Parts: sequence; structure tokens; C-alpha cells
Amino acid sequence: MDLFVQTVINGLILGSGYALVAVGLTIIFGTLHIVNFAHGAFFALGAYAVLTLQNFGVPYLLAIPLAAIVVAVIGYALELSIVRRALYDRGEHGSIIITFAISQAIVSAIILVIGPDPIPVKSPFGQTAMSVFSYFISAQRLFIAGTALVVLVGFGLWLRNSTKGQQILAVSQNAKGALYSGINVPLIRSLSFILGVAAAGLAGSLLAPLISAFPTMGDANVTIAFTVVILGGLGSIGGALLGALVIGLSNAFFETYVSVSWTPALGWILVILVLLLWPQGLLGKAQLNRH
Amino acid sequence: MKALGNRSGLPLKQLGLIAFGGLLIAGIGLGFESAFLLGLAAYTCAFAIFALSVNIMLGGIGEVPLGQCVFFGIGSYAPAIVMQQGGYPFEVGILIGMTVSAFLAILIGWLTLRLTGAYFSIVSWGLSGVAMVTALNLEVTGGPLGLFGFTRLAIGPFDLSSPKVYFIASAVILLVVLVFLAHVRSSRFGNALESTRQSSHLAQSLGINVFRERLKALVLSAPIAALAGSLCIPYTQIVTPEVMSVIRTVDALLAALIGGTSLLIGPVIGAVIFTILPQLMHFDANVKVLVFSLLIIFIIMVAPGGLHQLYKSAVARYRHGKKERA
Repeated sequence: MDLFVQTVINGLILGSGYALVAVGLTIIFGTLHIVNFAHGAFFALGAYAVLTLQNFGVPYLLAIPLAAIVVAVIGYALELSIVRRALYDRGEHGSIIITFAISQAIVSAIILVIGPDPIPVKSPFGQTAMSVFSYFISAQRLFIAGTALVVLVGFGLWLRNSTKGQQILAVSQNAKGALYSGINVPLIRSLSFILGVAAAGLAGSLLAPLISAFPTMGDANVTIAFTVVILGGLGSIGGALLGALVIGLSNAFFETYVSVSWTPALGWILVILVLLLWPQGLLGKAQLNRH
Repeated sequence: MKALGNRSGLPLKQLGLIAFGGLLIAGIGLGFESAFLLGLAAYTCAFAIFALSVNIMLGGIGEVPLGQCVFFGIGSYAPAIVMQQGGYPFEVGILIGMTVSAFLAILIGWLTLRLTGAYFSIVSWGLSGVAMVTALNLEVTGGPLGLFGFTRLAIGPFDLSSPKVYFIASAVILLVVLVFLAHVRSSRFGNALESTRQSSHLAQSLGINVFRERLKALVLSAPIAALAGSLCIPYTQIVTPEVMSVIRTVDALLAALIGGTSLLIGPVIGAVIFTILPQLMHFDANVKVLVFSLLIIFIIMVAPGGLHQLYKSAVARYRHGKKERA
């Protein structure tokens, strides 16, 4: 029973990290209609930004928001120079390859500038574990879950209550209709892209102390985020949260009760099953990506 | 429709092209002595075969088959396992790899080809992830270390451990694959594929079973990828789970896109550029990835048809300029 509860706690905390990555992915898909295969690279950029800032003496807690801003700036530069010109309103064929190429370019640039080896990232929470009702939770994990929760709730409220947030929702529902009602669609798309990659960078900077920073660190997390997003329904934010919890729990249970070395395959198997069985996801709209 | 090229080309012209290819192979095979260059050229041929296989999906039905490396990997692992565990010859392994990958393609295609676009690519990517974890964890694949130390790599009487024979064998196989694909292109099936790619709804309304044509394309491409995987072994001398890595597919995608996906020979041109250029420039592996990723972004933005589109528009501009001056 103890092991069971501990697994549930681990799963929920894991899920909150996935939710951050997944929300960024789903927002970009919702408004830009591209699947951002470069999301993992932005995740890694967030971790490396924290690492670099720490080397300059910036404390970890301050480095996290700064890292998200750095990633947002890089994202904006790429949006202006590539994404905007090459992707909007073109076929998916091109967007898959271009975002993949961006991801490869970022990863190889990281290897060339910083190096291929994993670098541990220090965090003030260190290895301390807290005991809550006799269950152990590492302080860093609790911090991740807390931050993710605050950011996600804040983001949800912002989407619901602010003008810009409403405009993002409008563009994702119907871009043409939004354009006709006077919404600056290109601006909203840039904003969504920046917010999406900043969320990925934030997740990277939060998770870096747990898994250390290495160039391809984003791959595993983003493949899981794909599962989360597809399970929740591409473009649906509530769905992404629900999907994150489901995937986080199932990963934790698989790791505890079945096998650690096969866990990476679980994410992929879930993606495949979800796509084959519920391609519209749990909360997504029915869509036309099928024959 | 111009994408199909000379579909009703004269047999004479085809024979001429084949003869030219044969002469080129003989020229390179007999003219060069360097074992390094011949080995690299042979590997380029194998890589070109893989790029052709990827392009059956990319240029043929317009999907991005990120998981094509699974078939490549099966083609690499099958001979390695068969040679080390069973003591069977290399050729038997190649045939087993091609057969297994074709049957696997039926299963995979039947499950996944109803999806399109990003959904298909993600599932396909997922399969390569599962395949890689499987290769890492199984005992028969040698785990993370992989399989190595092969004693006899030969096809029939041709011993592939000699670089010259290795090059000529893989170049001839590449030529055979090209001739075969040229025939497929001009067949009824090729036309059906092209119409499916341009507009699947229109093709469906004309009575083409889109799903079945797409499935056929995958089943056609899988053994070709497996063949490429087998042909790489004499060069790499080792088979590790890395052969299933999605990076391998991406390399082939880049080659196909650089050369031009609508051209039969495009992936071959791209593969040559992709392997020879970094060697000439003494690129580090990561510089290579960076340069080619940026190149591909540039190509998709400027010339989605690949380098031959750039070449064509340059020729057109040149002729136009000449006319104006005259």
C-alpha cells in the first residue's frame, strides 16, 4: 500500500512536469496548426540557459524565469526568420521537416558550443527529501510540481480573462473568422509560438537538476509530451492537463511494477495506441487527419 | 504531372542511361585504388538506396516516414543475427531481413496508414523509438554494444571485404533498384500513387483505393530500406541499436529533399552530396548536422523542389536574360 501511494505521488509530480511541456505544444498546434517537432530542443535550451546563467553567478531561482525569457527571445527570432515565412498556411509536410531541422540545428549547435556530455545542474533544494505523512518527496520534485501548477493555473486564467488570451483562443478556433473580426492574427501566432516555447524552456530549466543538462534531453520529454497532447486532443488545454496526469501515473506505475529499462518504450507505445484508438483524443475536437 | 518525368521514354534511352550508369560504376571501380574512397563510395550507394526507399513515401505519397529506420535496422540486424547465432551466410540474412521487413510493413501500414500528416509521422517516429528500446534490451541483438566481428561478408562469389568488390556490388544493386523504381513509376500503380499524393479525395472519387495504394507504397519501400541496411554492414562492421535511431531517417530525408523528391534520381544526387561533401570539407559530425539542417530549411523556404529546381530556375533565368539581350 505504501509503495502504491508513493507511486501515485511520483506519478502526479511527473505529470505536472509533462503538463508544462505539453501545454506549450498544444498552444502552438492550436493557433499555428503545426506540430512543433523542435519543442524538445527548446526544452534543452531552457536547461542550458539555467546552466549558463548559474555559471555567471545567477542563483537558480532567479535563473528559472530568466531562462524562460532567453528561450522566448530565441523562439521569437526563429519565428520571425523561419517559422513565419515557411510554415503558416502551408502543408504539414514542410512544417514537419522544418521544425525537425530546427531541432537538429539547435541540438548540434549546443554540442558544438558547450559539448555533448551531461552536465549536472545545481539546485538549492539539492537532494533533500521531505516527508509528508511518512511518504517521501524530494524537495526539487515538489518545487517542480508547485511551479508547474502555479504557472498553468495562471496561464489558464490569463487565457480566459485577458483580451490577448481571448484572441489566442479565437485564432485557434477559427483563424479566418478572427482575422475578419479585426484580430491581428500574425501577432497572435507569434505570441502563441513564443509562449509555447517559453513553457518548454521553463520545463527544461525546472527539470534540469533532476536529469542534468545534455543536448538530447528534450527528446524523451517531448515524445511523452506528444503522447500527452494527443491523448488530451491536440489543441485542447484542459485535455493536455488530463493527459499529463494519465501519462504521468501510468509511467510511474510501469516503472515501479514492471520494468525500468523498458519505460522509454512505454511512452511510444502509448502514443501509438492513443493515435490508433482515439485519434481525436479524450477532449479534442474530431478532426480530419484520417482517411 | 511533369513530376513523373519521361514515363513513356524510349527503351533505347533507358538502355543508354543504364549503360552510362554501368560505365560510371566500372570507371570509379577500376579507376580508384584508395580503399577509403571506394569504401565511402560503396557506403554512399547503400545510403542512396535508403534515401530512395524514404522517397517512395516522401515523394510518392507525401508522408514523412520518420520510422523508416526500423526497416533499415531490421535489414542490418537480420544478417548480423543470422550470421552470429545460426552461422548462416550473409546473403540468407539479407533475404530474411527483406522478407521480415516486408511483412512487418504490411502490419505497420495496415495499422498506421489511415493516419496522415503529423499524426502518421509521430506514430512512425514512435515505432522507431520502440524498436530502438527493444534492440537495447534484447539479448539476441547484443544489447547496447550491438553485434560485431563478422567473419564472412560476401554475396555469392563476391567477397565484400575487398573495397573494390564492395563498391561495384553495391553500385550495381543501386542501379538495379533505380531501374526497378523507374518501371514502378511508369506503371499503373505509379500513376495511382501520384494522383493520391496530389489529391487523395480526388483519387478516391476516381475509384482508386487510396489506403491500399499507400499500403503498397510502404510495403514496396520496406525491403529496399532493409537492403540498404544490409549493404551498410561491410562499411560499418558493427550493428548497434543506433541503426534504429530516427536520426538515420532524417539523414535520408535530407538527402531526398536536397536532390529533389519529385526526381527519381534526386535522392541519389542528395546522398552523394550528403556523404561526399562533409568528407571533402573535413566536417565534424555535428557541424555536418548543423550545416545540412540549415541547408534544408533554406531549400524548403526557397526551392521546395530541391536543388534541381534551383538549377532549373537558374537555367530559365539565364535563357531569359539571353533573350532580352538579343
